Amino acid sequence: MQNNTRHFAAIGVLVVIFTFVVFWILDAVLKFPLAASTQAGPIDSLIQGHLWIIAFLFSLVVVIAIYSLFLFRRREGDTEEGQYIHGNTTLEILWTALPMVVVIAFGYWSTVVLVDITQRPDNEIIVNAEGYQWGWNFSLPNSDAVTQELVLPVDTPIRMDLTSKDVLHNFWVPEFRVKQDIVPGRTTYLRFTPTIEGEYRLICSELCGLNHTGMIAPVRVVSQDEFAAFWNQDVQTASSK
Amino acid sequence: MSLFSLGLVRAIVGQILGMLTGMATTMLIRVMLGLPAWAAEPSWTVGAIFSIIGALWAVGALSDWAKWMKGEETPMHHGPPEGKPAWTRYFGVDYNHKVIGVQYTVWGIFLLLVGGTMALIFRTELAESGRQFLSLELYNNFIGMHGFIMIFAILLGIGGMANYLVPLMLGAEDMAFPRLNALGFWFNVPGSLLLLSSLFIGGWDAGWTAYPPLSARGPIGYQLFFLGVFAVGLSSIVGSLNLLVTILQMRPKGMSLFKMPIFCWAVFATSLIQLTATQLIGLSFLMVSTQRALGMGFFDPGLPGATLMTGLGDPILFQHLFWFYSHPAVYIFILPGLGIISELLPVFSRKPLFGYKWIALSSLAIAIVGFLVWGHHMFVSGYAPVLRYAFMYSSLLVAVPTGVKFFSWLGTLWGGKLTFETPMLFVLGAISVFLIGGLSGPILGTVPSDLPLHDTYFVVGHFHATMFGGFVFPFFAALYFWFPKVTGRMYNETLGKIHFAIMTPAFWVQTLGQMGVGVMGMRRRIADYDPTLGGGSIEAWQLSITIAGFLIGFGVLLMLWNFFQSAEVGVLAGDNPWRSRSPEWQIPSPIPEHSFASPMVVHGEPYDYGLPEPYVAFAAAGDD
Amino acid sequence: MSVATLGHQADHGHADGHDDSQAAYLERTRRNRLGMWLFFASEAFIFIGLLAARFYLWVDEGGQMMRPELDQVVGLIVTVVLLLSSYFMNRAEVSIANNNRRDFLWSLVITAILGTIFLVGVIIFEWGMLPFIFEGHLKPSDGVFGAVVFGMTGMHALHVLSGIVLIGNVWWLGRKGHFSAERHWGVEATAIYWHYVDLVWIFFYPALYLIGHAYGVGH
Repeated sequence: MQNNTRHFAAIGVLVVIFTFVVFWILDAVLKFPLAASTQAGPIDSLIQGHLWIIAFLFSLVVVIAIYSLFLFRRREGDTEEGQYIHGNTTLEILWTALPMVVVIAFGYWSTVVLVDITQRPDNEIIVNAEGYQWGWNFSLPNSDAVTQELVLPVDTPIRMDLTSKDVLHNFWVPEFRVKQDIVPGRTTYLRFTPTIEGEYRLICSELCGLNHTGMIAPVRVVSQDEFAAFWNQDVQTASSK
Repeated sequence: MSLFSLGLVRAIVGQILGMLTGMATTMLIRVMLGLPAWAAEPSWTVGAIFSIIGALWAVGALSDWAKWMKGEETPMHHGPPEGKPAWTRYFGVDYNHKVIGVQYTVWGIFLLLVGGTMALIFRTELAESGRQFLSLELYNNFIGMHGFIMIFAILLGIGGMANYLVPLMLGAEDMAFPRLNALGFWFNVPGSLLLLSSLFIGGWDAGWTAYPPLSARGPIGYQLFFLGVFAVGLSSIVGSLNLLVTILQMRPKGMSLFKMPIFCWAVFATSLIQLTATQLIGLSFLMVSTQRALGMGFFDPGLPGATLMTGLGDPILFQHLFWFYSHPAVYIFILPGLGIISELLPVFSRKPLFGYKWIALSSLAIAIVGFLVWGHHMFVSGYAPVLRYAFMYSSLLVAVPTGVKFFSWLGTLWGGKLTFETPMLFVLGAISVFLIGGLSGPILGTVPSDLPLHDTYFVVGHFHATMFGGFVFPFFAALYFWFPKVTGRMYNETLGKIHFAIMTPAFWVQTLGQMGVGVMGMRRRIADYDPTLGGGSIEAWQLSITIAGFLIGFGVLLMLWNFFQSAEVGVLAGDNPWRSRSPEWQIPSPIPEHSFASPMVVHGEPYDYGLPEPYVAFAAAGDD
Repeated sequence: MSVATLGHQADHGHADGHDDSQAAYLERTRRNRLGMWLFFASEAFIFIGLLAARFYLWVDEGGQMMRPELDQVVGLIVTVVLLLSSYFMNRAEVSIANNNRRDFLWSLVITAILGTIFLVGVIIFEWGMLPFIFEGHLKPSDGVFGAVVFGMTGMHALHVLSGIVLIGNVWWLGRKGHFSAERHWGVEATAIYWHYVDLVWIFFYPALYLIGHAYGVGH
C-alpha cells in the first residue's frame, strides 16, 4: 500500500489522544487511598509511571487493531484474499528489543525505589506485632505491656518486628502502602515512616482462616510526645488493671 | 439398556465402592495394630486413593493394562460400542481421540458451570457490604473451590482442544498412545468428584493455594482435595506426555516443526510445562498431606526452641514448591488460548500469519522463562530480600515474548480482508481482554508497586483478565469455530454475536471493577468489605461487578443453548465453511471414525492464504 | 502406571490396528522410548523437589548443613545391593537380546531378589517398621529430619516396589515365552526404569548419608 504513511500518521495521532484518554480513565478508576508514609511517595510515582506505559501500550494495540478493523474490513462483493505478507524480521526484532529496554528500565527504576524504601535508617523505633487467629498484639521491646491498638509516632522511622502465633498473616495498612507476610517460626520485618497523624486500619491480607475478614486492628499515628506518653502511662495503667 | 452400561455411572459407583473398600481396609489394619478402628484422617485418605482406582477400574480404563500384564491380546476396537446406542461411547472408555476430545471439552464446560455458579453465589454475597447469607465457613470454602474447579475446567478445556485438534492438524490417525489418552481423561472424573465431595466432609478453607500451616490444621476435606488434585495432575502429566510424543513423532513427511499449524506449537510449549512442573504441586500437596496424616513436619516450625529433630519446618518452602508449578500453570492455561488466537486470525484475515516463527518461539520462550519467575508470588512472603530483585527482573522478561505475540497479531490484521463472524469476534475480544490482563502484570512484577497491590482485588482483576483473555475467550472462539467440524452443522450466528455483545462489555466492567476496588484497599478472600473505601464509591463498583458476573453467566448459557439447538436444527455447514487451509477442514464434517481416508502429503505452508497451492493434500483417494 | 502402559504397549502393538511387521514394531518402539524418557523427565522433578526440600530444611541456626546420623552400615549395604541389581537387570536385557532365555529369567529373579533386599533393608533397618526385629532411629514425626528422611526414602521405596512388580510381571510373561530377541520392548522399558530408580538413589544416598554435619539421633 502506497498510502500507508497517511494511515500511520493518523494512527500516531490517535494513539497519542487515546493514551491520554486511557490514562484519564485509569486514573479515575484506580483511586489510591491517602499516602501517609514516606514510602508511599516513590511507590506512587512508580505506579504512575506504570499507568502511563499501560495507557500508551493499550492505546497502541487497540488503536491499530480498531483502525485495521475499519480499514481492512471485507467490502460487500469482495472475494479477494488479503495481502500476501509473511512477516518482517526488522519489525520483529524491533518489537522484541524495545519492550526489553522498557522492562529493564522499569526494573532499574524499581530497584532504586526498593533499595530506598527498605533501607535502614539510624533512628528507627522497633515495635513488635504478633498476629493470631484473629487479632493482633502490639508491644515495645523491653516492655511487658501489650495493647490491641497500634499507636505509632509520626515522622519517625518504624521497624515492625512481626511474629505469628499460629498461621500465616499479613501486616498491611493501605495508607502506608507497604505490606509484609507474617510467618510462624520466624520474625519478618517491615519498615515505614508514617507522615500524617490520624487513624488508620491495620488489616491482615493473607487468608488466615474463618474470620480472616475481621482480622483488623485500629492504628493511630500520633505526635512523638503523645506516643511516649501513651506507652508510659496509658498502657501501664491499662496493663496493671 | 441398563444404566450400568454407561461408563460414567459405573465410574461413580466404582468410586463409592472404592472409597468404602479403602476405609474398611484402613480400619482392618488399625484393628490389627491394636488401634481404635476409626480415625478420620487415614480412613478418608486411603479411601480417597482407593476411590480413584475404583472409578478407573469400574469404568474400564484399566482393563487393557491388566490384560497386557497377563499377556493377553487387546485388539483395538474402532467405532461405537457394539450392542449399544452410538451416543453411549461418549459416556464410557473410548480410544478415539475425537471422542476423548469431546469428553474433555464437555466435562470441562460442566466444571466451568459449577465453578461459575459458586462465583455467582459469593458475588451475590459481595454485591453489597455487610454479611448477607453466606456463613464465613462456606464463603472460604467457595472461594477456594471456585479457584480449583476453574483450574480443572481450564485444564480439561485445553485437554479437549489439544486432543481433538492436534492429531487432525498433524494428519495422524490418532494420538501416539490411545489407551493412555483415555486413562488420562478418566482420571479427571474421580478427581473432580473427590474435589466436589470434599465440601460435604468439612471442606477446606485456605483458598486454592492451600498454604500451610492453615491447610495443615484445617478440616478433613483437605485430604480429598489433595487427592482430587493428584488425580487431575496425573491426567495432566500423561496427557502432555502423549501430546509431546504425538507432535514429535507423528507428523507426516515434509511437515517440519516450523510447518505445523501454530496451535500445535502452543500445545507443545504447554505440554512441556505440564509434563514437568505438575509434579511439584503434587509433591507440595503430598507433603502437606503427610504432615496431616503422619506428622511429617515439612512445614511445621515446631515450638520455640525446636531443633531439627522436633521441628523447624518452614511454611515458605511450601510456597516455593507450590508456585514452581502454579506460576507456570497460568502459562499452561493461556498458551493454548493464544495459539487459538494465532490460528484463527489468518483464517478471518485471509492472509498469512505474521511472523510465524516468532510466534512459535515466543510460546517456547514464555514456557521457559515461566519456570524462573515463581518467586513474584512471594514478594511479601519474607524470603531472602535478594530474591525479590532476581524474581522481579525475570518476571519482567515475560512481557517481551508476550509483546511479540501482540504485535504479530496486529501485523496479521494489517492488510487483511477481515470478516467478523462469532469466532473472530471472540478472538478480537480475547486480544483486548488479554491485553489489559498482560499490561496489568508488570505493575505487579516490580516489587515496590506490588507491595500495595499484593493480595488485593487488583490481583484478582489482573488474574481474571489473563484467564478470560488467555483461555475463556479463545476457548469460546474455538468452540464456535470448530462446532461445524464436530457436529457438521452451523451454530446460530445471531445468538453467537449476542453472546459476544453481552459478555465482552460485562467482562470489562468486572475486571476494571476488581482492579479498582483492589486499589482502594480491598483485600482478596474476604467475605465482607469496608463500605467507606474509595470515598464510598466501592459499593457501586461491587454491585456492578456482581451484575457483570451474572451477565457473563447468562452469555455462557446462551452459547450452550445455541449449541444444543444448532446440533439438531442448524444449517448443514459443509466440509470447510471458513475456507481454512488447515488439514482438519479438508476432510468431511462430521469427521468419520478414521479421520483420513488416505495419507496426508504436505505441499505448502499452513497460512499461505492468497497462494493457490494447498497446505496439505491427500494421496490418491483410497480405493474403497 | 505409565511405565506399565509404555512397557507393554509395543508387544501388542498390532492390536492397535497397525500392521504387525517388524518395521511397524520398531516405529512403535521408537514412540514408546520417547514416551518413557519424557516420563523420566517428569519424574525427575519429584526427586529434585525432594532434594531441594532436604537442602533447604536441613540447616541449623548457624547456617551449617546438617544430617541425622543414620546407620552407615545399613546405608552402605543397601546401596551396594541396589547398584548390583542394576548389573543383573542389564544382564537380563542383554540375554534376551541374544535369545538366551535361561540367563534372562535367572537374571530377572536375581534383580528382583536384590531389589527386595534393598526394600527390606530400608523398611526394617532404616525405618524400624518392625520394632521387634530392629528399633529404628527416626520416626516420621521427628521434626524435619524425620519428615525428609521418610519423604525421600518413602518416595524412592515406592518406585523400587513398583519396579519389583514390573520385573515380576516381565519374568512371568518371559516364562510364557513372551519376549524374543527382536521384540522385547517390555524388558527394555522395565530395565531402563530400574536403572532410573537406581540413578535416583545415587543422588539420594549422599544427600541422606554423607553430606553435612552428623547430628546424633540415637534412641
